[in-house]
Amino acid sequence: MRPLTPKRLFVISAALTGILLLVAVFSLKFGTRSISLVELFRILRDTAMGRSDQIDSDFRLIIFGIRLPRIVLAMIVGAALSVAGASFQALLRNPLADPYVLGVSSGAALGAILSLIVAARSPGATPFAAFVGAAAASAIVYFLGRRGGSLDSFALLLGGVVTASFLSAVIMFLMTTISGRDLRGMAFWLMGDLTTSSPIPLRWLLLVLVITIGVIYTTAADLNLLLSGEQEAMHLGVDVARVKLVVFLGASVLTGLAVSVSGAIGYVGLLVPHVMRLFFGSDYRVLIPATALGGAIAIVIADTLARTIVAPTELPVGAMTAMVGAPIFILLLRRRLS
Amino acid sequence: MTVQDQTPAQAPAAAPAAPLTRPGPVRISVDLASYAYEPEDGAAPLFTLEATSFEVCQRELVAILGPNGSGKSTLLKLISGTLKPLSGRVQLEGLEVSRLDARTRAQRIAVVQQETSLLFPIRVWEYVQQGRHPHNRGLRFESKEDGEIAGHALAEAGAEHLRDRWMHRISGGEKQRVILARALTQQPLLLLLDEPTLHLDIAAQVDLLRRLRRLAAASMYAVVVVTHELNLAAEFADRIVLLDRGKTLRVGTPAEVYQQDLLQQVFGTLLHVDLNRRGVPKVVFSGKEA
Amino acid sequence: MWLLLALLAAAPLGAQTNIPPGKGASRVPPATIAVTDEAGRSVQVPAEVRRIVSLAPNMTELVYALGLQAKLVGVTDYCDYPPEARTKPRVGGTMNPSLEQVVSFHPDLVLASKQSNRKETVENLERLGFAVYTADAHTVADVLASLRRLGGLLGAREQGETLANDLQRRLSDLERRLAGHPPQRVVFVVWPSPLISIGRHTFLADALRWAGAESVVDTPQDWPRLSIEELIRQEPEFLIFASSHADESARTFEDLREQPGWRDLKAMREGHIAVVSEAVNRPSPRLVEAIEQLAQQLHPDAFRAAPARGEEKRENRGTSGRVPASRLAKVQECRSCVR
Repeated sequence: MRPLTPKRLFVISAALTGILLLVAVFSLKFGTRSISLVELFRILRDTAMGRSDQIDSDFRLIIFGIRLPRIVLAMIVGAALSVAGASFQALLRNPLADPYVLGVSSGAALGAILSLIVAARSPGATPFAAFVGAAAASAIVYFLGRRGGSLDSFALLLGGVVTASFLSAVIMFLMTTISGRDLRGMAFWLMGDLTTSSPIPLRWLLLVLVITIGVIYTTAADLNLLLSGEQEAMHLGVDVARVKLVVFLGASVLTGLAVSVSGAIGYVGLLVPHVMRLFFGSDYRVLIPATALGGAIAIVIADTLARTIVAPTELPVGAMTAMVGAPIFILLLRRRLS
Repeated sequence: MTVQDQTPAQAPAAAPAAPLTRPGPVRISVDLASYAYEPEDGAAPLFTLEATSFEVCQRELVAILGPNGSGKSTLLKLISGTLKPLSGRVQLEGLEVSRLDARTRAQRIAVVQQETSLLFPIRVWEYVQQGRHPHNRGLRFESKEDGEIAGHALAEAGAEHLRDRWMHRISGGEKQRVILARALTQQPLLLLLDEPTLHLDIAAQVDLLRRLRRLAAASMYAVVVVTHELNLAAEFADRIVLLDRGKTLRVGTPAEVYQQDLLQQVFGTLLHVDLNRRGVPKVVFSGKEA
Repeated sequence: MWLLLALLAAAPLGAQTNIPPGKGASRVPPATIAVTDEAGRSVQVPAEVRRIVSLAPNMTELVYALGLQAKLVGVTDYCDYPPEARTKPRVGGTMNPSLEQVVSFHPDLVLASKQSNRKETVENLERLGFAVYTADAHTVADVLASLRRLGGLLGAREQGETLANDLQRRLSDLERRLAGHPPQRVVFVVWPSPLISIGRHTFLADALRWAGAESVVDTPQDWPRLSIEELIRQEPEFLIFASSHADESARTFEDLREQPGWRDLKAMREGHIAVVSEAVNRPSPRLVEAIEQLAQQLHPDAFRAAPARGEEKRENRGTSGRVPASRLAKVQECRSCVR
């Protein structure tokens, strides 16, 4: 493998971005009502040129009202979960770490359930409450993981697992004792579902995503060193306590963001980093942008499949990632063990 | 050279061996530094390392010697700046080591670990290049110059042929050389090694110490090695710091330090000290019970 | 490197998520009436509703009952009554219908039910510019009110009123018949294992009351899970099952009769099993028929007297209530229940 240079990074990022755009455009084409590429191109062109009144109103609604927001949301969630997964894998020095191992998603789920119980009428309550729940769970895990002024990976992992299982138990309790009617939607949410339209405009979500990934990226070189051990990293000049804190916060924000709008989509945060490592090596300076783009691609594809495979019924996207993710996970595991 | 307070109990039998090279200016100065680990219940601290003073000069290889629990690793950590001394100071070219930020410290001091546990597969050259990290700010990628420095370090460590291999596929001895190469890539003033010979076979042990000796003599490095291998230390070190249960018993050349009574008392076993033709002491362990 | 980040940061500006106005947007929008639906949401119902999409089976039944099936342009996969509903174009499931299908059917009004649909689906459709009316029935009276209301909104006021009055009358007749008969203590078995029954706030519980029964399970939870011991402790007089096929229910009973706990129930031993059509699960006009059917099984003696006007036809329907254990296999239900 060749050494990493800015040029190589640019080439990889550009290539993946190109694939992402291609996948997105194709995804716009598919749905219960298939739109041909020619028509699609014409619609996009007309919109760009301000001639949107020429577009058939059905297509307008379907493409801009249904598919496009969903695809953008899928990209955001995919990128967020993948980078969070890669970050937690470095932070906890554990290749099996995923964004949910520290209980962030359980906190978000609990927030979502509570919002359904307390404020079922207001539309914006659920994602907001989910984010608050995610933040609260992260805070708890943070305090459990502190040892002598900095975060201890082992304590974090234990604290996270304990918090996750405790919150899951609370969620189970609530789901069985509270009136079942309102919580039917929770089943979808728990599996990961992109049909909820986010009350926060997508552009804000995108902004938070890019900023947070950027912040994590500033520690990329340090993360490389952290992977060989904390003592070693410190001896090579890494401010270990600061890096761990930044990565913990950044990854928690990303996870909270993703989970609060789409529920707990599984396997992405765990697998995309590993797949990207297979292709591009484990240097985080290229891994972080690669997993962000790779995760976006993965979720867009998964979501497109989820809404077309058994059309007109739509599967929750989490079901799709599980069906595809599990075999990939087994493959990766076997490869690693051989 | 500064010698410890306590004078040797008896004059050495033969004339001390002339140092192999002339030592350069003082690199590390340990000045009445001590350390203690806090016990649980707020009782009086147990001194792991009592106040000690000595200096290490450029082009010197100093061995810190002693049985297990004598405080060798603690002393090394004080020198590397990982621990802050309870009293006294450890200074590197006039700057207190523990007060430096990690990056500045890493530019001047390189610590060679015994082993490395890698999470994901990485190639040797990539691993070695990480040694340039303290010198590169932020998100800069390694330049061609960095690559050359890494290559040079690999050569000095005798690991150039391992360049494109995977770290998890090389042997223990080869890995030790690669770790050394990474430390050399930092272009430090001081090289610290904690029991580097533990997992190596005898040929690898000798090779490593010889290499360290050569590096110290030829370059700007000062090398401090913690070990309990008496004979290797005697063969390759310029000076020995002898520790026993936290106390520094003697600092001096191997011939000065390796006194039979002293060593028997420190290591708690019957032994016999000979001097070979070059004046380097050889310790022979007896099979008899004390 | 920084260029890349800058490019990424500029992406939000390009995230065009506002729906651009399309063809025909300049047309004058049709007149609408502001209405508050049963879920408390404010809906702009068009004055003239020509195309309806139903997202719930009971709403589909309502539309057919009002005689408005010509206006029905989309139903779900679960809309199976009346059977003709199965021939209508589909939008998918109730929990996850395809929004695109709904869009392509161009409905003036979408009908949803709080019991069957998700809040997210309703919100999404409203965001796309569709009017969505959500029904929320907790009691039998709610169902009738829904009927009247929707009849008015959908342009079938007379049919709505007539049907609702007719159902009301039948219920009043039933009430009269059952006056003087203490309600039977029953358990409605939604699912035998794990044992799930109904809570007091469900419309099912209300339906039971109309049928002269009182559920011994008194809990605010909608679908409480019980233990069989609790059931034995309560010793209900009747067990009620909802079923679509005679064979299916017969098989269930054969299995259950042998189960520990179940076989100790007095109701089981005496064969006091009542079976009603699955219509009892839906807040639709058929509910009343199911109630009548159930009442006949629970209070057979109330029906042996001279039938009230219009009741003759119904005498032959339903079982006689007591089902001898040896003849459980021959449980018969009313004609409309068997498909």
